[in-house]
Amino acid sequence: MTKVVTMKEAIAQHVNDGGFLFIGGYICRTPFAAIHEIIRQGKKDLTITRSNAADDFDMMIGAGVVKRFIATFLSLGYFGLGRCYRRSIEQGIPHRIEVEEYTNLSLPMMLMAGSMGMPFVPVKDMAGSDLLNVKSFMGDNKYKIIDSPFDGSRTVLVPALHPDLAIIHVQQADEFGNAQIWGIGGDCQAGANAAKKVIVSCERIVSRDTIGKDPNRTIVPDFKVVAVVEEPWGAHPGYTPGFYDVDFTFGYQYQQASDTVEGFKAFLDEWVFGVRDRTEYIQHYIQKQGYPAFKALQAEFDYGYPVSYAY
Amino acid sequence: MANHPSDYTKPELIACCGAREIRDGDVVLVGTGFPTMSANIARYTHAPNARLMQESGVFDAQPKRPALSVGDPCLNPGAAMIGTLLDIMGAFLQGGWVDVGFLSGSQVDKYGNINTTAIGDYRKPKSRLPGSGGANPIGSLAKRVIIIALHDTRRLAERVDFITTPGYIDGAGARERWGLPPDTGPEVIITNKAVLRFDRGTGEAYLATYHPDTSIDEVRRNTPWDLKVAEDVRETEPPTAEELRVLREILDPKRMISAYERRGYV
Repeated sequence: MTKVVTMKEAIAQHVNDGGFLFIGGYICRTPFAAIHEIIRQGKKDLTITRSNAADDFDMMIGAGVVKRFIATFLSLGYFGLGRCYRRSIEQGIPHRIEVEEYTNLSLPMMLMAGSMGMPFVPVKDMAGSDLLNVKSFMGDNKYKIIDSPFDGSRTVLVPALHPDLAIIHVQQADEFGNAQIWGIGGDCQAGANAAKKVIVSCERIVSRDTIGKDPNRTIVPDFKVVAVVEEPWGAHPGYTPGFYDVDFTFGYQYQQASDTVEGFKAFLDEWVFGVRDRTEYIQHYIQKQGYPAFKALQAEFDYGYPVSYAY
Repeated sequence: MANHPSDYTKPELIACCGAREIRDGDVVLVGTGFPTMSANIARYTHAPNARLMQESGVFDAQPKRPALSVGDPCLNPGAAMIGTLLDIMGAFLQGGWVDVGFLSGSQVDKYGNINTTAIGDYRKPKSRLPGSGGANPIGSLAKRVIIIALHDTRRLAERVDFITTPGYIDGAGARERWGLPPDTGPEVIITNKAVLRFDRGTGEAYLATYHPDTSIDEVRRNTPWDLKVAEDVRETEPPTAEELRVLREILDPKRMISAYERRGYV
C-alpha cells in the first residue's frame, strides 16, 4: 500500500508533542521541509537528537518547539556559533532547553545499539573529560563505568537510544518507503533504524523496480517507514548530492537574521509561517533571490559506470 | 638548504608547521581549514602516501576547492569511499587506525586539554560553545593529536573551564588511569606565536620553537602558566618555497587561508 502523503499530513499524524525525534542530515540531506512544517504546526516539548547539529536544530530551538536535546555539537559551521542555541542556554530565550552532552562517536554508537536491540554499548571516548561530570535529564543513565568482565579494563558504557520517530531526507524512495541515499552518510542510517518509525522525505519517488536496480543504496527498508513525502529541494539551504549545492548565501542570511530575537522572528515569519509548504517556499525563494541564484544551486551531472547486479 | 621566501603570512606558517607533523603513510582525520591544508601540503611534499578522512564518512576526498565544513558537498565527488560516522569514528578511529588527528579549541590548557563546550560555569555559561562533536573521540583515540590555537592569556589557560577533549588531563599517567589507549594524546600545540611540545614525564607543554617575528620572552609573557623552555629551543623554520607553492598554486588559489588573519592568527 502506498504511503505517499504531504509533509503537512506526515508531520500532523506522526510528530506528537513531547515525542523523541531523530532528525537526519549532515548539511548533506537535512530534512528542512519537515523542520519548517514542525515549526509551522507549533509542536511542543520535543526531544531531538543527531550528531553534528546545525542551522536546522538552531531554528527549532529558537522557535520554541524543543525541550530536550541529546547533543554532540551545534554550530552554524562557517558562520559560527548557533545564535538561538546560545540565547536559549545563556539567557533562557525563548526558554532554556535541557542538553545531554555526548560525542560524534558515542551518539552514533548509541543509535547503532538502538537499531540492533542492544541495551547499551561500550565506547572508548569521553573517559577523563568533563562530559562525564555533567548529567542532565538522563541522570545516572547517561553512562556507566564498569571494569570489563573480559580483561578488567575501565570501560564506559552508554545506553541504546530508541527515538519515537526518525525523519530523514533522501535522494529517492519508492512509494512504500525503501529509501536510497548517496553521499555523506553522517548518522542517518543508524538513527533511522534505531527509531520505532520513519518519515522519508525524498527528492523523487521512483518505482520499486528502480530501487531494485541498485539495492545496496537502500538504508531503510519499507517496513520501518510510515510516510513517504516527495519534496524536491527539501533539504535547502542544505544540499543533496546530485541535485543541488549548499546555499551559502542563504546560510549567511540566516546567521545575520538569527543574531537578534527580532531578526529571527522576522525570518520565521517570512520563510516558515509566511509560506504554506515547500512549493510556496521555493516560489518565494525564486521571487526574492532571483531565478539565476536558484538555478546556480542546481547540481551538474557527472556519471560513472552504471552498476549491474545481473548474473 | 631549503629556500625560504620572506613574504609568507602567519596562517601559512601555521599550516606548514602542521604539515611537518605528518609522516608518510599516516592516516589523518581532518576538519576544515588548517588541518586540511596542512595534511595536503604534506601529501604534495614529503608524505605522498598520507591519507585523509573526514568524520562525516569520507575517505580520500578529492575536493576542487577547500572544504568549508566536514559535510561540504565538494567532499563527495571523487572520494575513494563514503560511509557514515560509524565507519570513520567507529571502525577507523576507535578501531585504532588513525595516526593523526587535528583539533582546535577556544581554550587550551598546559596539559593539552581542550574546551569547546562553555566559557565560564557550565551551568551558567558566559558563552555556550558548540560542544564536542568529533573532538573528544579524536583527542581520546588518535595516536598523535595536533592542536592549533591562538596564543594569548585568554585562549591558553593553566586549566580549561571545561575539559571537552582530554589531553594529558591532570598530568602524566592520567590518560592511562582513565583507560585511554596507550601511545595516544597531544603531540604539539601550534599557535600564532610558537610551537609547544609535551614533556612526557609531566604531561605539560613546553616551548619548542618560537616564530620568526617573536621571542622567547614574548611567548612566555603571553602564556598564562610558567612555560618551560626546551634546552634546544630555536626559531621556527619558515615555510619553504615548495610548501608555499603547493599551498598557493594547488590547494588554495583563492587565498581562503587569509580568513584566519581576520580571526587573529597574525
